[in-house]
Amino acid sequence: MTPEQSAHLSEEAINDFLIGLGSPDSEAHLAACSKCSSRVKGFRSEVNDFNLATLAWSEARPQVRLYEAARPQARRFAASPLIWALATVLLLAVGFPLWKHFQLAANDASAKAPVSRDSEAQIAQDNDLLQSVNVALNEGEESPVAVYHLSEAPHPRLRSRPELRKQ
Amino acid sequence: MATYSATTLELGRPSFAGIESSVTGRRGAISELDDIDALSRTYRARLIRFVVNATGDPDLAETVAQDALLRAYNGREAFRGDCGIATWLTGIAINVLRNHQRTERYKFWKKVKSKAVDVQEMASFLPADGSSAEAQLMAKEKVMQLARVLETLSSNQRTVFAMRFTEEMEVADISEMLGMQVNTVRTHLHRALTAVRSQLGAKI
Repeated sequence: MTPEQSAHLSEEAINDFLIGLGSPDSEAHLAACSKCSSRVKGFRSEVNDFNLATLAWSEARPQVRLYEAARPQARRFAASPLIWALATVLLLAVGFPLWKHFQLAANDASAKAPVSRDSEAQIAQDNDLLQSVNVALNEGEESPVAVYHLSEAPHPRLRSRPELRKQ
Repeated sequence: MATYSATTLELGRPSFAGIESSVTGRRGAISELDDIDALSRTYRARLIRFVVNATGDPDLAETVAQDALLRAYNGREAFRGDCGIATWLTGIAINVLRNHQRTERYKFWKKVKSKAVDVQEMASFLPADGSSAEAQLMAKEKVMQLARVLETLSSNQRTVFAMRFTEEMEVADISEMLGMQVNTVRTHLHRALTAVRSQLGAKI
């Protein structure tokens, strides 16, 4: 058994070397001891394979375009087609009923004006008509006072209370 | 040793050794940061990998990666070039991740959703290196084993493991970025390494 084989590095010494905190003695030993150096190389090879595999796996992840994400929020907001579509829908939803409302109001105003002019003449005409109907109905009709032989004298109960008769 | 805060990370103040710091390097980095889609193409997969390794949650990884890239792009003028873009982005991703994990929405979805990486699928992405089919199969098996061991680690252990062995950061830098003592980082790494090495076999 050679001296290098009889005194291999401890696990802790190898760990220290791997993490970059190895002592000069450890480094000297590793330079001379093939067994210890092969353990170090073996670990590094495993880790290297792991890093290669994980990097290749990461590179295979779908790429995203960060340019859009990096643009200022307001510009991104304004550039979104969905936002424009929503804005159009909102505009139509609010604008169309408003337009409809103003359209109807204008129609009402134009329709009401002749009616108000006609109504005065109409009322006078209606009054004349009603008056003539009233006159026609009353023609030849006897007065109820005459029909029922009612007298103009006050009611007997009211005779004792002249103040009511005056009313 | 300066402690990293969310602000300093996002302003790019951390100074890491061995990283470009010249004015030319900064200009180059700034021009790279100016194109959000190019930035995404270059670093998004790395960020997703880091967050997946640190959390095991692929959906969260995509969200965090996207948020981190957007923050980096929006704060690119503050990038000082003291460290590499990858390290800078990792720091931002850690802050985004912490913010996500603090939210009630995240806690709620963590309870109701069962999100885990399909380790078999992930292992199947191991690129062929010209070795024999048997060696490839063994390598994929090891990838799956490592992924499964990581699932058993605590959140801190996973994070420091990913920072050290995936992002290849120094312990001192991990300590600064996470605001942890070096010894605490070292302890997490030791525990993670012990678990991983024991599960992957005595050979390593």
